[in-house]
Amino acid sequence: MSKPKNRLLLIEPDMVLAQILTTVLVPKGYTVVHAFTAQEAIMKADLSTPDLVVLELQLVDHSGIEFLYEFRSYTDWENIPVMIYSSVPPAEFNHSREIMLNQLGVKNYLYKPDTSLVEFMRKLNSLIQRTDFHNEST
Amino acid sequence: MSSRVQAPAISNNLLLSIIEQMKLPFVQIARQAELAQLGLEPDYRSIRTLAENGIQLIDGYSLGVQLANLNSYELTPESVSVSSVLYEADQQLQSLARLYNIQLKLNIGGRFEPVLAHRQGLQAAIIGLASALIEALPSQSAGEQSTLQLATHRCRYGIVAGVYADLPSLSSDTLKRGRRLYGNSRQPLVTVSHTTGAGIFVADTIFKAMRLKLHISRHHRLYGLGVVLQPSSQLAMI
Repeated sequence: MSKPKNRLLLIEPDMVLAQILTTVLVPKGYTVVHAFTAQEAIMKADLSTPDLVVLELQLVDHSGIEFLYEFRSYTDWENIPVMIYSSVPPAEFNHSREIMLNQLGVKNYLYKPDTSLVEFMRKLNSLIQRTDFHNEST
Repeated sequence: MSSRVQAPAISNNLLLSIIEQMKLPFVQIARQAELAQLGLEPDYRSIRTLAENGIQLIDGYSLGVQLANLNSYELTPESVSVSSVLYEADQQLQSLARLYNIQLKLNIGGRFEPVLAHRQGLQAAIIGLASALIEALPSQSAGEQSTLQLATHRCRYGIVAGVYADLPSLSSDTLKRGRRLYGNSRQPLVTVSHTTGAGIFVADTIFKAMRLKLHISRHHRLYGLGVVLQPSSQLAMI
C-alpha cells in the first residue's frame, strides 16, 4: 500500500490567505508547509520533499515562474505536481501556456478571485488522486 | 491651473493600482466568509479589519484626488501635532497589524513643535504607507513577528513623520522605480511587496498635493518612508 500523498508546499506571500488555506487543508488530512518566498520554498522543499505544490506567481523578489524553473531543475522534484493559485489572471500567460504545462509541469491554473475554497479543494483532491493513480500504474 | 490638468493623469495610474490592490481584501473576505460552507468558523473580526482596511485605502485615494485638484490657495494647511496624527494612525492600524503578526510601535518620544500640514491628508498618507508595509513585512521575515514603527524625529530640514521597519530592500532606487511602474505593473516594488503597494502611491499622491515629498528615510537603524514637515512658525513665535 502506497503512503498517502498529503504533504503540501504552499507558496503564498499573503499571510491572511495562507492562514485561511491552512485552516481548510489541515482538517482534510494535508500536512501544510508554508513558504512566503521562492527562496524559502526551495529551502523547505529541500528539508522535506512535498507531494504537491500550490504556488502564487506574485512573490517578493523572485516570481513564481522563476521558482518553477529552479524547482524543476532538481531531478528529485521534476515530477511533483504544481497547481497555480494566483491573483494573476491566466489570460496573461496564454503565450507561455505550453511551457507551463509541458516544461514546468503545471497541472492546474486557478485564478484566486474566481476560485471558491470548495473549488480549490475539489481541484486539489482530484490532482492528488490523479497523481496516486499515475504512480500506482507506472 | 497646471495642477488641475495633471490631476486626472495621476489619478488614472493610481486608480489602476488601487483596483489591483483591492482584489486582495475582497479575496481575503470572500474566502474567510466561505469557511462556514466547509463547516469551519469564519473569523468575523478579521473580515471587519480587512474591510475597514480596504475602505481606508479608497478614502485615501479619494482624498488624494481631491487634494490634487485644489490649487495652493484652496489648500489650507493647519497647525498639526505630528504625535497626535501618528497616535491616531496607530489606533486605526493595530488590528490589521495583529492580523499580519506585526508588532506596531509608536515612537513619538521627544517634544516637537506643531507642523504646518493638512491633518486629514497627513493621517491618510501615514495609514496608506503603514498598511502597505504591514502586508509586505511577513514575506521579508518568513512569517516571524516583525516590528513596524510609526515615528517622528527631527532632521536638519524639519520634523520627519514616517513608518520604519527592518527592510533593507526599501531604497531610493526601489521607490524611484516604483513611481515609474505603478499603474502599469502588478508589483512596482517587487523587492518589497507582492502587491501593488497602492497605499504607498496613495501617500505619495497626497504628499505631492500637499507640496511635500515622500522619501526614503532612516531612523534608529531602520528603513522607512517619511516626509519632512516644516514647524509651524506661527506657533513657534508664541
